Amino acid sequence: MLLSLTKTNYLLRETLLGLRRGGWMNWAAISTVAVLLFLFGISLQSSWQLEGLLNRFGSQLEVSVYLDTGIQARELKPLVERFPDVSEVSVVSKEEAWANLVSDLGLSEISGATHQLEGNPLVDELKVKAKSSQVVPGLAEKLAKLSGVDEVQYVDEAVQRVAELNRGIRWVSFVIVMVLTLTAIAVITTTIRLIVLARRREIEVMQLVGATTSWIYLPFLLQGVVFGLAGAAIAWILLLSLQQFFRHLLAQQPEFVQLLTSGLQLSLLRTILLAGILLGFGSLVGVMGSLFAVRKITLKS
Amino acid sequence: MSQSSVKPPAHAPNPEVPPVSEADDAIVALRDVTKTYVSGSKALIDLNLEIKRGDFLFITGPSGSGKSTLLKLLYGEERATAGRVLVDGFNVCELRGDRLSELRRRIGIVFQDYKLIPRRTVAENIAFVLWAQGFDRKEIERRLPPALKMVGLPHKANSFPEELSGGEQQRVSIARAIVNTPPILLADEPTGNLDADNSWQVIKILRKLNAIGITVIVTTHDEALIRQSNHSVVQLCNGRLYSPKRYNQPKAN
Repeated sequence: MLLSLTKTNYLLRETLLGLRRGGWMNWAAISTVAVLLFLFGISLQSSWQLEGLLNRFGSQLEVSVYLDTGIQARELKPLVERFPDVSEVSVVSKEEAWANLVSDLGLSEISGATHQLEGNPLVDELKVKAKSSQVVPGLAEKLAKLSGVDEVQYVDEAVQRVAELNRGIRWVSFVIVMVLTLTAIAVITTTIRLIVLARRREIEVMQLVGATTSWIYLPFLLQGVVFGLAGAAIAWILLLSLQQFFRHLLAQQPEFVQLLTSGLQLSLLRTILLAGILLGFGSLVGVMGSLFAVRKITLKS
Repeated sequence: MSQSSVKPPAHAPNPEVPPVSEADDAIVALRDVTKTYVSGSKALIDLNLEIKRGDFLFITGPSGSGKSTLLKLLYGEERATAGRVLVDGFNVCELRGDRLSELRRRIGIVFQDYKLIPRRTVAENIAFVLWAQGFDRKEIERRLPPALKMVGLPHKANSFPEELSGGEQQRVSIARAIVNTPPILLADEPTGNLDADNSWQVIKILRKLNAIGITVIVTTHDEALIRQSNHSVVQLCNGRLYSPKRYNQPKAN
């Protein structure tokens, strides 16, 4: 207990001292990490937001199956329900559909309209909901082959495009994040190495008086973690302000645009999760950078 | 060179015939130690030396004779090419990592260039050793005043090294070396940069430490100092150890 108190005391003091010695180099390290995590945060956020949008297209996981004239939807329903990729099937009889259509068109009298067209022109329809957007095309193909099915429709392209966009963004951001991670690690390594060099007399004396290697280098590792955490905090604040800015911008848009983009808002849970991920990623980058810095020097001695 | 007055005191070991037995009271023992540097130059050749607990030993010899190398072998900064180096029960040649740190905590080292940390005060420089070894604040505060008093610098506790004279700086480095009460004190040319008065003051402090039971090993090329202090002496010349009897006529081979 006492030893751990001594340790904390020592580690904090030495870490702070190191940071003071670092001077403006600290800012080089912290701002690199902040830029990395900001871009990482944006890509993560947009990926989440697009997922949210895709979920709003939930109705477009739906395949509309139009049956041949005279075929009853109720008869076909049990068969379709047995397809493995189907999560839900609902029946829209031609009567219901006709009634909806007539009311949508604003016609007051349904029988008059029916009479004019010499009977209900529509057919029975099955609304089939797929389990995921990937299986929609395959499912539609299988449904089209069923006897009694006239035509199959699904909103393939929109879903596909958004999914593709999401994949594209993920790849681009993965590459950018990788490059920036390496940059941040390099900057932290350089910063910590400069601090180690500035304190090499102290380190030499410490080695000569029997300080253990971990005792000597733990403060430098902690310094790396501080860089990571500070960068993460800055990135998180930037991301939150960016969100706030967009929210204000959207508030002035027509209701229609607001409705479309409501899927873009992050939930509270996601906002906290984002902070957690940024802090974790930041300290990981910090530890890696400082490990590289002290490893080189430990190898020398 | 005339060192006729050098006489090993009665209690000192006789380096002439180094005992080969692993006597319990030997705190330092070198057995057939040879050190060859990577460049091929031989720093030490077939060295045998035994130092008993509580001894005060001078190692003398011209510069480049291997004095510093010998001390470095003792605290593990250099490793013997052949032979065994035993210090306070540790086989130094085999020590790595934290075991080496453990050995170094049992050895105080005083350097010719003091190795004080410029941006820390005298008190901080001394406390630094204790921090480095994981002592807690209370213990550090308890140990600081006696260490400063031992070297006669309690009033300089808050000065910075550059505000002190060379002699004072060396005394700080002695305080730093003994603040964790190690059983062995190594001093590598502690008086190399000091005038006669300061040198003598340093030797007096080292003798005081020896009197309380610390084994003291000092390298120096200051013959006058050796004469004055009347302790046992061994001489290194071209990497070989000479006993005091032959001390007056070192034979370079």
